[in-house]
Amino acid sequence: MVKKSMCEDQGRQAKLLEMEGNWKRALADYQNLQKRTAEERLTIASFANAALLTRLLPVLDNLEKVVLYVNDSGLKLTVKEFTRVLSEEGIEEFAVLGDDFDPAAMEALETVPGEEGKVVEVINKGYRFKGKILRPAGVKVGQKEVTNNE
Amino acid sequence: MSKILGIDLGTTNSAMAIMEAGQPKVIPNHEGANTTPSVVALGGSELVGVSAKRQQVVNPRNTVYSIKRLMGMRFTDEEVARVKKMVPYEIVEGKNGMAAVKVEGKLYTPQEISAKILAKLKADAEKFLGTTITEAVITVPAYFNDSQRTATKEAGQIAGLDVKRIINEPTAASLAYGLDKNKNEKIAVYDLGGGTFDVSILEIGDGVFEVKATNGDTHLGGDDFDQKIILWLIESFKADQGVDLSNDRQALQRLKDAAEKAKQELSSALETEINIPFVTADANGPKHLNVKLTRAKLEQLVDGLIQRTIPPMKSALADAALTKNDIVEVIMVGGMTRVPKVNEIVKEFFGKEPHKGINPDEVVAVGAAIQGGVLGGDVKDILLLDVTPLTLGIETLGGVSTPLIKRNTTIPTSQSQVFSTAADSQTSVEVNVLQGEREMASDNKSLGRFILDGIPPAPRGIPQVEVAFDIDANGILNVSAKDKASGRVQKITIQGGTGLNKDEVEKMVHEAQAHAEEDRKKKDEVEARNAADSVCYAAEKALRDAGDKVPADVKTEVEEKVKQVRAILATASASELRAKTQDLSTTMQKIGTHMYGSPSDGGQGENEKPGGSKGDGETVEGEVVDTSD
Repeated sequence: MVKKSMCEDQGRQAKLLEMEGNWKRALADYQNLQKRTAEERLTIASFANAALLTRLLPVLDNLEKVVLYVNDSGLKLTVKEFTRVLSEEGIEEFAVLGDDFDPAAMEALETVPGEEGKVVEVINKGYRFKGKILRPAGVKVGQKEVTNNE
Repeated sequence: MSKILGIDLGTTNSAMAIMEAGQPKVIPNHEGANTTPSVVALGGSELVGVSAKRQQVVNPRNTVYSIKRLMGMRFTDEEVARVKKMVPYEIVEGKNGMAAVKVEGKLYTPQEISAKILAKLKADAEKFLGTTITEAVITVPAYFNDSQRTATKEAGQIAGLDVKRIINEPTAASLAYGLDKNKNEKIAVYDLGGGTFDVSILEIGDGVFEVKATNGDTHLGGDDFDQKIILWLIESFKADQGVDLSNDRQALQRLKDAAEKAKQELSSALETEINIPFVTADANGPKHLNVKLTRAKLEQLVDGLIQRTIPPMKSALADAALTKNDIVEVIMVGGMTRVPKVNEIVKEFFGKEPHKGINPDEVVAVGAAIQGGVLGGDVKDILLLDVTPLTLGIETLGGVSTPLIKRNTTIPTSQSQVFSTAADSQTSVEVNVLQGEREMASDNKSLGRFILDGIPPAPRGIPQVEVAFDIDANGILNVSAKDKASGRVQKITIQGGTGLNKDEVEKMVHEAQAHAEEDRKKKDEVEARNAADSVCYAAEKALRDAGDKVPADVKTEVEEKVKQVRAILATASASELRAKTQDLSTTMQKIGTHMYGSPSDGGQGENEKPGGSKGDGETVEGEVVDTSD
């Protein structure tokens, strides 16, 4: 009889510990979620425009190409204005020509004969947004021998 | 105890998820994406994921992708020969005749390369969660043999993960949809990913999944779809402009991006325009690509590819010795299942609507996380947390339904709010407990009502009655009302009041949406009336309190305006009433001006307006279910 109640007692004790553990874990999950949500909210707020701005970049690419073919001061001013707005929103172009190829900031589009591992031509400009890579620069990378070029 | 990470180690892309407070959460990688390319750059600096992919062109022989195809394979296996033809990196015979990768003279086992992908996922997850991860559940295709499964497990171990379990991808997808709770039914999982196609037939019995048959095409996927669109674009451009783009790498890159985008857009739109200005240039100047692609045309282009998925479905059924009618659930996995035509073909084949709703790129990782949660004991209790299907609230002045607990709130939960009386010397309030999404009490369902009496007589808006709602984990609702002055409490317990079936809930939600505008107007009118009444009351009180301090002409003016408002109180429109009320409020300020120096009484009267307007109205008949205190 005594033995049985002791068993029961232990069973209850174990159950209680399990419950307490579960409860603490749920609480911890919740608190961690709160912390991360606060962080995410900050990130979302500062990067809310990133998706829209990324979509505008190809339009700017094209406008810049038009400038090469059409010599018009109004057009040039428009492009200038466009880039000014982007820079006011925190977007900066980064130059990579002549740099070492860096896959964190650039995408290699093809290899061409040239100085090994260096960016020899920029096809698409790269852009940074508040320190993060918004769009990697699309580049041609130099290679001594072009035999491995797929 | 640390958490168990669920990992979908894919041929083209990998993804990961974890259980958090009983819910699976997909974890983004360091770059911020929910999926990570299964690409590893070796030799020199090692890179994994999108950066490895970006340097692929520069470093083709050192960039390893599709390594999953080599997992647990012997060098002499047919598949290895096929992969060898496909990839630019070197595949050689390693230890014990197994396939291995050779980069810059160094041998790597497929396990070691997969481990690099897993290690990146682990590190990114740790950074995201701020905790260490030591355990994982990793998924593999249903057709993986023992050797392939062992290799996957070894990859996890090399990455520093204790692999708690290797589970089948279709099983993970079924778990993600909660199908483990169903009994003795057959499930078909259609998985069309970036580079591979599988169809699996599963049978679920008492929470255990058994793979009855699996079939597929290991070289069919989203990339083939993109390729079809690119070829079509090249042909259209050639016909239109006479220029062949197929050897122009820069143009091809832009065509590829445009093809992917068009494919995505046509999943929801019926037509899209593909614009690539300055795609190329010849002696006559720049050339632009501008074509329209309709969904019908796209479906025609990829029809051959989609048709190729039908024979494997047939074979899988035959191997499982089942017919289409035996299949109860159909699940879609992989990005390509977003294509409406794919969905249509599958629906047609099995004769039932496939499960959708969970992102098909993430569903396997989600299922792996759920399995991890079950193994870690995380899921057991917490997953059972329910939500209130409909909003719960009480009726307030003018028949408005005031919500206390909004629908879809996770239970157990409690919420309280202080209300007041609507009339002077009101000694009881009735609490009518409502369920539903409509603005007016009469349109919602009354779950029960009770009366709290014994409130000491006081001007309206002064008594404070705290109404508290509490739903316990079993869905039992306790509502109490307490008069803060006297301490009197009344309670009601509503058992199973929220136990509506799914259809009833849906119906109530839809009705609320359908009547939203008309309900909003009704509520607006009631609120305007309540506000007008409060201002009249405050004006009269202010006049009474001010006594002789207010000149007779001001007094008459205010009284006249109160009369005007009262006259139209029941009939005027909300906007008319608001205008008159505003007018009265302005006039009332004259009282304040004359009371200068002792504004507290009049001011207080006004401050009580919100309380007054919230007060519960008449005390009518009630069913007091439970009384205590």
